[in-house]
Amino acid sequence: MRKRNLFIVLTGLTLSFPFMGMSQTWDVPADQKEVVAPFKFTPGIQKQGEQIYSKNCHSCHGNPGKNDWAKLTPPPGDLSAVKAQQQTDGEWFYKITTGKAPMPEFRNVLSEDERWWVVAFLRSFNPGYIQPEPVAKKVFTGRVVTLNLTFDSTQKQVIVKAYDMLQDKRKAPAAGVEVELLVKRYFGNLTMGSPVTTNTQGIAKFTFPGDLPAQRDGFSELVARVLDPKGLMQTTPDTLRIAAGKSNDQPSLLETRAWWSVRSKAPVWIILTYTLSVLIVWGFIIYILLSMVKIYKSGKLK
Amino acid sequence: MEENDPIRPQQESEKSPSSRRDFLKNLGLAGVCVAAGGAALYSGHIFEAKKEGSGEQRVLLTQDGKLVKVDSLEIKAHEKTGTEQYQYLGREGIAGRRWVMVVDLSHCRNARRCITACQEAHHLRPEQYHINTLQMQDTPNTAPYHMPKNCQHCDNPPCVSVCPVDATYKRQDGIVLIDNERCIGCRFCIAACPYSARIFNWIEPKDAAQDEGLDYNVELNVPQKLGTVSKCLFSADRLREEKLPYCVSACPNGVYYFGDENEDAVTNGTTKETVRLSKLLRDNGGYQLMPELGTKPRVYYLPPKNRLFPFENQPDETPTKA
Amino acid sequence: MAEKDFTLEKITGDLTHHIRLNKGFLAWMGFLTISLLVCLYAYSLQLKNGLGVAGIRDYVSWGMYLSNFVFFVASSLIGMLISAFLGLIGMKWITPLTRIAETIAVAFAAVAGLVIVSDMGRPERLANVFIYARFQSPILWDVTVITTYFVLSLLLLFLPMIADLAIIQRKVTTLPAWLRTVYKVLSLNYRDTPEQNRIIHRSIRILLILIIPAALSIHTVTSWLFAVTSRAGWDSTIFGPYFVSGAFVAGTAAVILAMFFFRKNYKLSDYLTDLHFNNMGKVLATVSLVYLYFNLNEFLVPGYKLKRADAVHLHELLAGKDALLFWFVQIGGLLLPILFMLFRRFRKPVPITIIAVAVLIAAWFKRYLIVIPTQEHPFLPIQHIPENFLHYTPTLTETLISIAPFLLVLIIITLILKFFPVIPLQETAKEKGVEPFIFD
Repeated sequence: MRKRNLFIVLTGLTLSFPFMGMSQTWDVPADQKEVVAPFKFTPGIQKQGEQIYSKNCHSCHGNPGKNDWAKLTPPPGDLSAVKAQQQTDGEWFYKITTGKAPMPEFRNVLSEDERWWVVAFLRSFNPGYIQPEPVAKKVFTGRVVTLNLTFDSTQKQVIVKAYDMLQDKRKAPAAGVEVELLVKRYFGNLTMGSPVTTNTQGIAKFTFPGDLPAQRDGFSELVARVLDPKGLMQTTPDTLRIAAGKSNDQPSLLETRAWWSVRSKAPVWIILTYTLSVLIVWGFIIYILLSMVKIYKSGKLK
Repeated sequence: MEENDPIRPQQESEKSPSSRRDFLKNLGLAGVCVAAGGAALYSGHIFEAKKEGSGEQRVLLTQDGKLVKVDSLEIKAHEKTGTEQYQYLGREGIAGRRWVMVVDLSHCRNARRCITACQEAHHLRPEQYHINTLQMQDTPNTAPYHMPKNCQHCDNPPCVSVCPVDATYKRQDGIVLIDNERCIGCRFCIAACPYSARIFNWIEPKDAAQDEGLDYNVELNVPQKLGTVSKCLFSADRLREEKLPYCVSACPNGVYYFGDENEDAVTNGTTKETVRLSKLLRDNGGYQLMPELGTKPRVYYLPPKNRLFPFENQPDETPTKA
Repeated sequence: MAEKDFTLEKITGDLTHHIRLNKGFLAWMGFLTISLLVCLYAYSLQLKNGLGVAGIRDYVSWGMYLSNFVFFVASSLIGMLISAFLGLIGMKWITPLTRIAETIAVAFAAVAGLVIVSDMGRPERLANVFIYARFQSPILWDVTVITTYFVLSLLLLFLPMIADLAIIQRKVTTLPAWLRTVYKVLSLNYRDTPEQNRIIHRSIRILLILIIPAALSIHTVTSWLFAVTSRAGWDSTIFGPYFVSGAFVAGTAAVILAMFFFRKNYKLSDYLTDLHFNNMGKVLATVSLVYLYFNLNEFLVPGYKLKRADAVHLHELLAGKDALLFWFVQIGGLLLPILFMLFRRFRKPVPITIIAVAVLIAAWFKRYLIVIPTQEHPFLPIQHIPENFLHYTPTLTETLISIAPFLLVLIIITLILKFFPVIPLQETAKEKGVEPFIFD
């Protein structure tokens, strides 16, 4: 009995799961709510924001104030409406950055400035809006972290060493720094595994996946960078080219002779069959034409 | 029909009655057979010899500052310009790549941004689709969904097999292209394609006047040419610049992933996030369209499960007659 | 011994008296030429504005032009059936029909090549087919075999005619001098020498054998234009024999029609007798039965399984949009002719000609039904396109362009059978056992 009850509860939970997203509010961390733009929302900035908006946002959110947003669940709603405009600039900025299905994230697509331009554009629909005093990016006072990438080819391990640059230009191992490792691909960098936090020696180790194809020349280009969403550090990423990764010397797709290949790569038998049949039949035709010449000549009166 | 078929050029010489003796004639005929058979195979041998190369390697500096080793046979003075250069690049393809597209059906809500971006890039009329989103319903009891459908760039392309003039061809990087300067407009490829992916320029192309005098780019199909076939090109011109295809970049909903199968990585056109192709397909039940036809498509689909957007039966935005 | 009433004089006179420029001929040619000019004007519109002047669009991209092409290739096949097949198995009665059959073969094969050019988006690039000839494409094969078949048929029309030409040149004195010179040149100094007869006989023998595979190839390869695709209705392994047997039906009907016309207009009833119509009726019944058998296979087998795409296709044909046409073609063009041909009284000239006309019309629509409906339901849905992309309706311009090849065929047949004897002269004389013609 109890088992059955549990089953029902679990089933109910599972079934309701897809709908939870709809009723849930979109919570933004308190410190992110307070973030303000680093520049003034001038008409010029708003114009730039409009361009970004029409390219990236308009297809779902429609024209602000026109109630022509796409019929989605949850509804995107009118961004010029009071409810939307009640949010802080920081909230909007956060939501554009991180996205939440079905809304895509724009962290890799739009630069920070571009995201602020969109916020600026949306504020142009709110006559009562007064922009909080812009806070220019703080002159940096925190940690300065540099990274150093090495590859242990025996262990197939990528070792990232993080250093704190001290005031007297000495380096010290930086502990507790969250590092991610990426490998270069044609259209962007591929994250390898999950981020690793450096240990007390300032070291983070990543296992290089043996099944990941290298570039065509047999090398893989790595990038290590510090994850610092709050912007507390000034960091320098490091790159490294290593002779590792699965061989990627795939043959051209045009290797074999095939029906679909170009003429010179047609199957041999079809070339031969075609050519021979044509030659044989046309050989006979020519023979007959010559015979006709013979008829003509033999009929000449001497 | 004419009978001056270039693969039988030898017959011309045979026409003159050289000798009356049958023996010589038969000998001549046999000779012609051997010569023609040899000639037919010779082109194939050249192709092979070119690939094997001379064995002599030279080191060259590429435009982007890389040193590359090249077989000395491959080195050609780089004087091609305009259409000729486009043709050379367009036939050659990008070595070492195998382009692949993944379409996540759970994200598609028929925004049709891909279509407009594509039609703008390739100078197409509104009813001419290199890519189209279809409203699908597989069986009466299964849910309807939107499915973007473009050329599947098959590895066993039926359209290419039937082309009489090598106008449509498959490149080493997997892309199936069409050369509008060679196409004779027989439309056999349209008949052969099971995905209805090919279109034809029945009337004067949309931007004919404005494209006048433009160098024809086989990787863009621009200018479009009257009386020839046009089709999705996987934006071959953009790939060369390390940019994602027009449709992929235009999607607001993260439907498209595009990348190189050899690198096992695809990049989402909306979020620009790069993921492993094998994992994406494995984790999400990736499949291909009509694989039973043996066409081996280069486009994969992720099933429309847990759809992020409900199916809206939008009115068919049929463009008016052109 | 000579058959009753037949003398060399009578035969020569009967079989050559039509070789003259009479008013009826000139009027008929004038009508054909003017009609052709109108159609050529329509084609000039297509050259200027593109294939869009026709009703074909992205989904149904092969329309009337292509079904016309298939029809023309089909009709040309009859030359092989009559001359080569029936001839080689020793049928004597075909002698007066061979020239008609070969003329039909030459005319239809020649025009089939032109029909396919009218279906090209870029006809000025025709040379590409030879320059970039791709061995893998059935189109190259088709172009090759049609050219070959045309040349073989032309030779097979010409070689048995050499003796006749020599006779005309000597005997028909009413002709203008220049025309007699033409006959003289064409007769290749024929003087009935054993050497000449031996060469002609051997050449004809070779041609009769070669033309069988060539004829089978032209229609088999044409069927492959469809059968090499995966589409429902085309994806069939029996398309080759299905097309070939259908071609014999259409060709037989065309020959019957021509027989009737020339018998009446050229007063040849002593040579094209009721016996010939009777026998052609039996041929028509036989080839139609073979065709019926292939039809049964072609529709019953997919209809039994009803795979998704096949089910849609068959439903449209048998009970849907195309049902009326389909049943007209199957009943009017196949079942009823078979039934009628079983009775001797329907194998008389007039009834059999009426039936042949029905068979020929049905044969044209049969090609239409093979080509078009399949394209109207591809595997994936047709959406977001203008209404005229959805269903194929031929336009007026397209119809005119499609009529042109028929006019051309009529012009070619008229010209050939006007200036050359419809019935082989020398052979007929030989068969009737009359005194042989003495070549000086």
